[in-house]
Amino acid sequence: MMTTILLMACITFFTRYLFLHRALPFKVGPKMQQFLSFSAPAVLTAIWVPIVFVTDDGINLDWQNPYLSAAVAAIIVAYKTHNIYYTTLVGMGLFLILN
Amino acid sequence: MLPLCLAVIPWGILCGSLAIQNGFTAIETQAMSLLVFAGSAQLVAIELIAGNTPLLTILFTTFIISSRHFLYGLAVRHKVIDQPMRWRLPVSFVLTDELFAFSHHRKAYRTKLRLVYALSAGFSFYIAWNLWTLIGIVAGSLLPDLTNLGLDFAIAATFIALVIPGIKNLATLATVITAGVMATLLKSQGFELWLVTAALTAMSLGYVISRAQTKTEQIV
Repeated sequence: MMTTILLMACITFFTRYLFLHRALPFKVGPKMQQFLSFSAPAVLTAIWVPIVFVTDDGINLDWQNPYLSAAVAAIIVAYKTHNIYYTTLVGMGLFLILN
Repeated sequence: MLPLCLAVIPWGILCGSLAIQNGFTAIETQAMSLLVFAGSAQLVAIELIAGNTPLLTILFTTFIISSRHFLYGLAVRHKVIDQPMRWRLPVSFVLTDELFAFSHHRKAYRTKLRLVYALSAGFSFYIAWNLWTLIGIVAGSLLPDLTNLGLDFAIAATFIALVIPGIKNLATLATVITAGVMATLLKSQGFELWLVTAALTAMSLGYVISRAQTKTEQIV
């Protein structure tokens, strides 16, 4: 088990470190940089949207789905306040009540 | 970064308790958070290990889930690459989704003060993640069923808080919608590379739109 954990640690660290390694002989040009500027919204959204919609049985679009109503509330709060505290508090709070 | 340390509470507890309930020892569970330090990879690996999945499959899955970090490394490369190894190694160790979301300032990582700031943020997140894992270990051994509470919604709420305020133009809006729709469709179909495929497609669309807009502005 510990071997598995150690190997996993090597893999995650490798993926985080690789492009910060100086010996890699390339520069990220301005076009590539512009492309990469979309990586945070793209990756984070690709992680959170399936948490809301995807269950073991497929896609859940039901409004009774507490993940969905709490996510909509969190989006509204995030849009209005730009505040991480309020957004996560309202999102989690509403979710726990509905669930 | 402080709000993120709090927002990760349910996620850490989920990780700790899920491992305990799947037969991990407390030390193995904590070691995973201390060494791997990657929530989504850990959650998936716990289920795979508990299901006696072959080692290579576990490692391949870890690689696929972690491969988004390549994008993060590429995106901050020009900001960090001139720093000596003793700074780059710890920065890459704590380069999580959350820290990356805070890395957009033009000068991020580029001055000593900003490096210290990034590392403090990154390592406070590391400490928080491990504390919440520990609490999850304790809670998971005392209470029977924590894993069906929907604690994973915490990560959705956090990422909503990180993404939504950043949508300031059409290109980013299109990126976000594409990423969400594609990831949902691909993941529900059981496609292994759902995350990377959805992210790269969405980024390409965002890039094309922003290039087109720049060109239109130049003509006008």
